[in-house]
This record gives sequence, C-alpha cells and structure tokens, in this order.
Amino acid sequence: MADGTTAANPIPRRRAYRLLLGAALRAQLQYRSNTLLTLAGGIAYQGVGLAFVSVLVGRFGAIGGWSLGEIAFLYGLRVTAHGLWMIPTSQLFVLDLTIRTGEFDRYLTRPAGPLMQLLSREVYLATIGDLLTGVAILVAGASQVDLDTSPGALLYLALAVVGGALVEGSLQLAAASLSFRMLSNQSLRLFIDGIMNNFGGYPLKIFPSVTRIVLTFVVPVAFVAYLPANVLLHRTGELALAPWVAWCAPLAGPLLIALAYLVWRTQIRHYQSSGT
Amino acid sequence: MPTPKPIIQVEGLAKEFRRPKRIEGPFGGIRTLFTRQYVSKLAVDGIDFTVDEGELIGYLGPNGAGKSTTIKILTGILQPTQGSVEVAGVVPWKERERNARNIGVVFGQRTQLWWDLPLRDSLELIGKLYGVERDRHRANIERFTELLGLAAFIDTPVRQLSLGQRMRGDLAAAMLPEPRILYLDEPTIGLDVVAKERIRAFIATLNKDEGTTVILTTHDLDDVEKLCRRIVLIDGGKVLYDGSVEKLKARYAPRRRLVVQLAEGARWRGVAMPGVEEAPPEEDAEPGTVALLFDPETAASAEVIAAVLADHQVTDLSIVEPELEGVVHRIYAAREAVA
Repeated sequence: MADGTTAANPIPRRRAYRLLLGAALRAQLQYRSNTLLTLAGGIAYQGVGLAFVSVLVGRFGAIGGWSLGEIAFLYGLRVTAHGLWMIPTSQLFVLDLTIRTGEFDRYLTRPAGPLMQLLSREVYLATIGDLLTGVAILVAGASQVDLDTSPGALLYLALAVVGGALVEGSLQLAAASLSFRMLSNQSLRLFIDGIMNNFGGYPLKIFPSVTRIVLTFVVPVAFVAYLPANVLLHRTGELALAPWVAWCAPLAGPLLIALAYLVWRTQIRHYQSSGT
Repeated sequence: MPTPKPIIQVEGLAKEFRRPKRIEGPFGGIRTLFTRQYVSKLAVDGIDFTVDEGELIGYLGPNGAGKSTTIKILTGILQPTQGSVEVAGVVPWKERERNARNIGVVFGQRTQLWWDLPLRDSLELIGKLYGVERDRHRANIERFTELLGLAAFIDTPVRQLSLGQRMRGDLAAAMLPEPRILYLDEPTIGLDVVAKERIRAFIATLNKDEGTTVILTTHDLDDVEKLCRRIVLIDGGKVLYDGSVEKLKARYAPRRRLVVQLAEGARWRGVAMPGVEEAPPEEDAEPGTVALLFDPETAASAEVIAAVLADHQVTDLSIVEPELEGVVHRIYAAREAVA
C-alpha cells in the first residue's frame, strides 16, 4: 500500500505450522482410498520385517542369546522411534524434488520458515502405519520379557523412543540438507534408511566388531534402539561400551539433531534455485 | 518537501553461480562429486537501479539475461555475490520473512495456491498465514472476487481451474495481504486475449488505486506497452536501457512509417525529401501500397504527407508508430550480431 504499511502481521510459528498442516491434511483427505491404502501399506511393510525376524528366531530359538520376546521389544523400539520421526518429517524425502521443480522458491517468499513449510507440504499417512506397528510390536515384546515397569524405567523408555527418533531424524535431515548442493541425493538417503532398517532392529552383538563400531560411531544406529534396549532388558553387561554410555543413549538424539539443524542452516545458504 | 526514498534500491548487484566442474572419463560422476574445480557463470554483473513507490516498471531482457536472478534476489530467494539491495527498507535475504510480508509474488509458470483445495480455502489460508486482521481479510476477498471475477469458480479445487482462472486466483492470493510491492513474472503466459486483458486491467487498477509498486517481467511486450511507463532492459547481466518506453523507441527506432494507398491506376513517382526513404515492400502488402520511413525530428509528418499528396492520387494514408516488439527485437538482434 502506498501509505507504507501492509495488512500482513507476524504470526507465531506454531500457528503457521498448524495452519499449513491442516491444509495438507484436508488435501490428503480428498484422496480417501489412496490414504487407506498407504496406511495399510505402512503396516504391512513393517509387519513383514518382523515376520522375517520371527521366522529366524523360530528356526534358531534365539539370536545372540536374545529371545524372540527380547528381539521383538528391540525391533518394536526401533520401528516406534522410526514412526515417531517419520510422521512429522516424511517430506524431507522430497526436498530435492521441491528444489528441482521450483517449489522451494515459494517457501522463501512466504513469511514462514522454509523447513517448516517443507515438512508441512503434505501429510504422508503411511507413517502412522509405521508408528502403530511399532507400538504393537513393542507392547507384544514387552509382555514376553522381564521388563522393569517402574515409573523411572517407563520414563526412560519414553525418552529412548524420542531420542531414537531424533537420532534417525538427524541423519536424514543432514543428508537431505545436501540436496541444496547436490540436487539429487536420494541414493544417500535410501542408504541411511536401509542401514536403519536392516541393522537397527537386531542385537548388534551378533555382528563382527568392525560393523559394531561403524554402527555405533559412524552411523549411530546403536543409539536408536539397541543401547536403550540393553538398559531396559538389563543386558548392559554384555556391551563392549561402559554401561553409562548406554544409559545416556537418549541424549544422543537432541545433540545430533542440533548438529543436523546446523548442517541445514549452512547448506541452505548454497541454495541456487532452478533455471528460470 | 524532501524526495521520498525509493522503495527499491539496487546497487552494484552481482550474482555468480558456481557449479562443480563436470569431469569426463572413467568414474566421471564420482570424481565430479569430489572435485574442487568449479565452473562459474556471472548471471548478474553489476546492476543498479531504483524504483519509486507507486511505479509500474517492465523488467525486460532476453532469456538468460539475468532477469529471473535479479527478481529472485529482490524477493529473498537468492543471496547475491556482491552489491546491496534494499526493498522497502529491508535487505531481502537477511530478513527474509519481513521482506515476505512486504511483497506479493506471482510466477506465471507455477502456482502458490494449494493444488487440491478449493480456491476459497487457499485465499482464507493466505489471510491467516500473513496474519491479516479477519474483517479486513474478508473485505479484501470480497473486493478481489469482484475485481477478478472469481465468484464462478471460487469453490472449485485449484487443480480443476483453467490457466486463466488459476492466474486470477494467484493474483488475488498475492494481493490479499496488501503488499507494497508486487512482482509479476510472465503473468499472462499462455493466456487467451480476453484473459490477458482482464489481468492487465487488474494490474493497472492495483497500481492506480492502491499505489502498489509493480515489477513486471515478461516476454509479452503488449503487456509492457499497455501497462508500463518505464522499462529496465537488461542483457548479459547488465542494464542496457532504463527509461520511458517512448525514449527507448526514439533511441532504437526513431523512424515512423507512412503507409500510402495509391488510387487505382496511379503510379508511384517517389518523394524527394531529405530524411525520407522508401521501405522495402512487405510480403503481405496490398498492391498499390507504398511505405515510407521518416524521422519526425528531421522531416515533419505534415510535410511528408504534403509532398506525397502533391505528386500522387491517394485513397488512404496512415502513420504507424514503431511497436515496442520491433524495437526490442532489433536490440536483441544487434546484440547477437555483436556476440
């Protein structure tokens, strides 16, 4: 307006997020049958994974001294953390696409954070399937094992799930951030997802030590579920690490996600937009 | 009264794009990932201009001239390599969200509406996202619905709208928060004549009644001729021309065209006047028409006409002003000849 003011005013970030998410949900519900199918797909995908493990355990009785119940608990912990992370962040997977199509330009011309706009561009309901399956497996596993149910232990369990979600999230966020420079890095992100999926749900002690070191310190899969599960199942004694490291595993999440957000902040400066 | 500060100030703006150099040969793709060699391209190479509040300027240039890059810097999408920019007192890439609240952006090729939601939903959402006070927003939606004729399709999902309808929706969305500056990138691309006219009328109204500053990038010079008083022409990342449409024509196409329709049987004898010459015949010219080119600075129109009439029997006469299209075409062509 010529008088030097506009009608626009800042709004709280949380409100902007709610507005955008609500719009994405309304849009998603226009495709009802697709929604139900993806939800079912999510449940089936994780269910197949567990079925595979239970066949293995059924055949051999136990894996690395872990009973079926214990493995289910560990597996459930991993899938729950995964589902918890994926629900709000599934759209990280299409960051490179939004950059290539120019959609990301739009995020930068709107009065809201670009990461938040990316995450709320669409609701991908298959992720709810992941979470539901994860919780179901976790509960089923927990009923089979000698689990400490004191409030302290349950609180630790909750923190472990959140921490695990953040560990996986930090890897995916950092990897997605590279899209600003590499344009396409789907393979890297699928690689991380593959590692999480293939190694995250098993007792890592069954692997050779080099693999264990890689899965603990390079791609910190161990922090997602294995270390907290050791604590909750009273198995810290069999770890090569000091028990306090396992106890502190839930702290890795917040630490790594902060680092990953830093990566995002530095990489977004390299954004070059698309050709036109 | 002191002159008000320009609403847009661009000084020494430069933007260099760097990409890793592609390495050919075995494992080229992987080696490209780790190379430290870069190919750089200077898309914008030292641009200066200012825009006053309430101006409606055409920002023109051939493909790859640096238009989009400039607009992306002004809108906060890109950071420049060098130079300073201030838009309504804000450095766009430093205070991106504050800048976003001052501007409206319409890219003709893409929509900012929610594809799967009815247009009305998108418009409501924009109001909330921009924190527009509820009653003011409602009044604005009503006003734009009328101005742009949205009523017929406001409850249709955006994905089902025609290009022209979608464009009107996008314009409304951009203008609802009452931005001080509106950036339009190819707003009439792919539209039919009626739809184009409607959009042009809307832009002109905004500029006149609301005083919205408009920066229009387009290849459709009809848009420019009908809307803009001033144009900034860039090429090779530099400003080639900055001024009024008339002056541009005077500089690059100073000559007018006088088209003469001779009476049947009349023969063309020519006109001997300094500064007047015969134009080469056009392909689709009717028989018996002759076109003359003259510069009104050296030969007054009336004198040229008098000279023609003195020697010939004529049924019709018309003077054709140079069109911007032709002028810009000549500028681009001259540039290519040099390159």
